[in-house]
Amino acid sequence: MQSNPDHDNYRSAQKRKLALRRLSPLMTILFLLLLWQWLSDRELVSPILVPPPADVYAAFAAALDDGSLVKHTLVTLGEMLYGLLLGVAIGLVLGYAIAKAPLLEYILSPIIVAFQSTPIVAYAPLLIIWFGTGPTSKIVTTAVIVFFPSLVNAIVGIRSVSPRLRDLMTSLNAGPWRAFRLLELPSALPVILAGLKTSTTLAVIGAVVGEFVSAGSGLGYLVTTARYQFDTPLVIVSVLTMTAIALSLYSLVAYVEWRSLAWQRRSAA
Amino acid sequence: MFVIIRRLSVIMFCALLGGLVAGAQDDLADERILLTFIPNIQFAPFYVGIENGYFSDAGYDITLEHLHEPDVLDLVAVGQANYGIVSGEQVILARSRDRDVVYVFEWFQQYPVGIVATGHNGLGLYDIGDLRGRRVGIPGRFGASYTGLTAMLHGAGLAEGDIELVEIGFNAPEAFCLQTVDAAVVYVNNEPLQIINRSLAGQCGDIGIPDVFPASDYADLVSNGLIVSRSHLNDNPGRVALMVGALRDALRFAIDNPAAAYLASLPHVDALPRESELVAALTEAAARQGDFLYAIPGRDEVAAGREALRSRLRQQFDNETLAQMEVLLNSIELWDAEVLGYSDLASWETMRDTLARMDLLGDDLGDLNAAFTNEFVAVDDA
Repeated sequence: MQSNPDHDNYRSAQKRKLALRRLSPLMTILFLLLLWQWLSDRELVSPILVPPPADVYAAFAAALDDGSLVKHTLVTLGEMLYGLLLGVAIGLVLGYAIAKAPLLEYILSPIIVAFQSTPIVAYAPLLIIWFGTGPTSKIVTTAVIVFFPSLVNAIVGIRSVSPRLRDLMTSLNAGPWRAFRLLELPSALPVILAGLKTSTTLAVIGAVVGEFVSAGSGLGYLVTTARYQFDTPLVIVSVLTMTAIALSLYSLVAYVEWRSLAWQRRSAA
Repeated sequence: MFVIIRRLSVIMFCALLGGLVAGAQDDLADERILLTFIPNIQFAPFYVGIENGYFSDAGYDITLEHLHEPDVLDLVAVGQANYGIVSGEQVILARSRDRDVVYVFEWFQQYPVGIVATGHNGLGLYDIGDLRGRRVGIPGRFGASYTGLTAMLHGAGLAEGDIELVEIGFNAPEAFCLQTVDAAVVYVNNEPLQIINRSLAGQCGDIGIPDVFPASDYADLVSNGLIVSRSHLNDNPGRVALMVGALRDALRFAIDNPAAAYLASLPHVDALPRESELVAALTEAAARQGDFLYAIPGRDEVAAGREALRSRLRQQFDNETLAQMEVLLNSIELWDAEVLGYSDLASWETMRDTLARMDLLGDDLGDLNAAFTNEFVAVDDA
């Protein structure tokens, strides 16, 4: 069987494009690192404000070596995951209920919109007073911030189910549970997972805002103490760790989305 | 015709006068002073400096900005601002990390941190030594509160491990009144007053009136003061002297006439009570104090006058209306000294030793004599 040269060229061009697309985030990071090093070498910005990458790496190695970075990261991660679980669960359940009973939307929307439109930093101190200075207040702060995207996407997802398919389920005498399992959940899943991706990135903000207000551990606490000790490299290490956590969780949800929606891609193909 | 010429002359004269005034204002150098916290009556000397013209007489058109303390220090260190107010321990810590700043005027003569506790509810907390094994609230393990606590514990023969330290953020009155802690590290000029007022209003459980243990009773620590960068100090010693002089005069005015200082703070602090009765009473008190000061009374007489003012106001106004004035009067007790702005090497050494004990300084403890200077404060007053 002879291969088609045009087709081969097209395929290799596509492969190169794909590889470039996959490498582009790494290239952006590399470019920023080089720019950072270049600015530091020429002392175009004060090392007090922006320490050189080598100092940040040294702070990273030291914090890793003495165990403080792992300890504080685990604290923040724990608060985030519990908060994410709580906020998303409440958001999904309430979102489903609102999608099914529009009256609930009228009743609850003033509270929900009020909570969402107020910056979390404004009422985080209140959450600390109400829920104590321990991890509970950080979990609640996280839950509050991740709740809204889950809620909205659950409402949109359930309401976007095709009426034609609903009629089909009714004609097949499917009960509410079967309709939910076989129709509503699969139909709403892409939108719900999109909301979950937003929620995972917001979860870092929730936990760290809570830690900024009051904490004895966690990455927010590490930033505050490092700042008061003028350890700017450690501040940057903490911030980059938060970014890494957010990116990892986002990627995890994206992977789950890719796996769980395989049927959708197959049916589209 | 004569009338027209006369009117034109008046208009031209006014325009000329206006131009001269504007020109005079243009001569003022724009300058920022970076402060911590938020606009508050505790910054009254700066408001007095602006409203009463101390800064403009020194050639400055001052803008006040509020930032976190480390940010104040960094911006001054890199020359993005020339003047800032920070606590003494921040100067030592920053200098140990290559920020060449110099402390030129000690504003707070007494360290403002302390511990609030009560022995009236059966806890038996009558002294810092009684804190052993107790839950002590603190904003966090950083800043002046943490340093003050460490110095106090050391002074009482305790270490951090002897107490249960609880991070409560800046919520000491709430945490204390809800009894989630047995004691709390506070700013002695402000938070005990809030707790007492809540207690008197029946919003503080069975706490009663708490006892306050100031850090200054246990250790002489260098406190909040004016900093400049080394390069600004070297390049513009005359300008630094003018700034220090203006701040010193404004501070002395606020100490001597707190009622006038409160009135000068009104345009700068939105949350200050400003009921017409209070403003009238303070205006009258300020005028009376102005007359009194003509006789050049001694510090003790002025201090007695402040207490008399406090008593008179308490008879006229409720606790809520008077709370901020009381904060000002309490703050003045921490500011007042025979020589304003002077800082003592011994208090710097105590601070450095405390920080070293907290493992916040490396092996090189630095040269304290380079951290501060009394060059600009001792000239007139000493």
